[in-house]
Amino acid sequence: MDLQHFIFRYLFVAPHVLLIPVAIVMFRKALHRQFPVFFSYLCYEFLQFCVFYPILTRLLILPTWIYLDLDMFFKAGSTAFHFGILQELFESPVKHDDSLRKSSTRILRWVTVALVVMASAFIGFQYYRQAHLLPRSYASIEALNIAQCFLLVLVFLWHRFLGHKMSTFAFGIALGLGLTAFLEPFFSAWTDSRLMQRAFIPDFLWMGTYHCSVLIWLYYALASDKNIPRSGEGPSRHGSGGGSLIEMRESAAEMERLVRR
Amino acid sequence: MTSLFLIVAVLAAVLLLFLASQVWGRYARRSDTLQTETGQLTEVDLEAFENLTDPEEEQYLRKNLSSAKFRRVQRTRLRAAKMYVAALSHNAVVLVAVGQTARSSADPAIAAAGQEIVQRAIRLRIWCLLSLLRMNAAFVFPAQLSPSGRLANQYMLVTYMAANLPGRVVA
Repeated sequence: MDLQHFIFRYLFVAPHVLLIPVAIVMFRKALHRQFPVFFSYLCYEFLQFCVFYPILTRLLILPTWIYLDLDMFFKAGSTAFHFGILQELFESPVKHDDSLRKSSTRILRWVTVALVVMASAFIGFQYYRQAHLLPRSYASIEALNIAQCFLLVLVFLWHRFLGHKMSTFAFGIALGLGLTAFLEPFFSAWTDSRLMQRAFIPDFLWMGTYHCSVLIWLYYALASDKNIPRSGEGPSRHGSGGGSLIEMRESAAEMERLVRR
Repeated sequence: MTSLFLIVAVLAAVLLLFLASQVWGRYARRSDTLQTETGQLTEVDLEAFENLTDPEEEQYLRKNLSSAKFRRVQRTRLRAAKMYVAALSHNAVVLVAVGQTARSSADPAIAAAGQEIVQRAIRLRIWCLLSLLRMNAAFVFPAQLSPSGRLANQYMLVTYMAANLPGRVVA
């Protein structure tokens, strides 16, 4: 096996295998309850790896059109998961407040639609104007990826506006996702631009970026505190200090009544 | 071909810089977090704010002043009210931080109270934004739109909750 093959195989296998420890750490720290979409995404990515590994190592030989369709299908799934994760991150500061959560979901939906339309118009204009290496179906995925970049920026700005510090793991998810989301359109455009004869370079860089993202997720999963679900815990169960919370809530309600007069 | 590549390359570079600034901001801010949380909230004279946004007061001015003079007075009142809302908005951020600190407490009672403060402070922050937007619109059409003074009540409630946290872990 030459060096290029070895690097390719390492960059293909290592990040996907590392997804398992990330999922295990998440499960052990009960973070999968807090970020169910991200947890499902990890499982999905691993499943994708299980499907593609035998194909790329030629253990299973498929016609090109089946391979491309399969690749397209999984790419579309990953993109859908990315949108789900972005929604999860966007809603995280208001997830305990039902009405705010619904409002924020509505805002995010409208912003997503606007960004997707703008990104599609941009990519559509670029692709239909000139000949490109990548199939047009990939162009739509690229448009969605560009829209995701801006949504991720919005997630950071939203937290900043609220003054809400992201939890350690939420920050890790956003960071890892940002790295891949910000660089994916770039590597895709690089491959498409035919600027370099050696097309494997953007592929390797892209795989390396994904590897870094998985390492970031693993680091932040390990660094995050154990998630102790607090919703539904009655103050009476807490022993010391429990009574004071009841009192505080009662006096807050009383005060709310007073100020409404 | 290359134009798309160049545009996307510039975009990726800008976004990566943004991401780096977020990482920098998170770890650079860590050192002054305590200071922010225990630091004093900006003082807000709620009575004066309520007076500025009182619909009865507005009605009185409308009745007793000429249309042009009312618009001028109302704009001055709105300018002052916007300053109060900006201060409330700033305080909401401080209260979110206070709530987040309490939320990470080992004592479940304090943690639950912190959660409640975070929720209410976030709500207050959003209302402040909406209120500022409404006031900006009212600034253009002072005779048609009136500012809302409901923020003061919500602010009083959240500060009261933060000041009465069980165990008083936060100032």
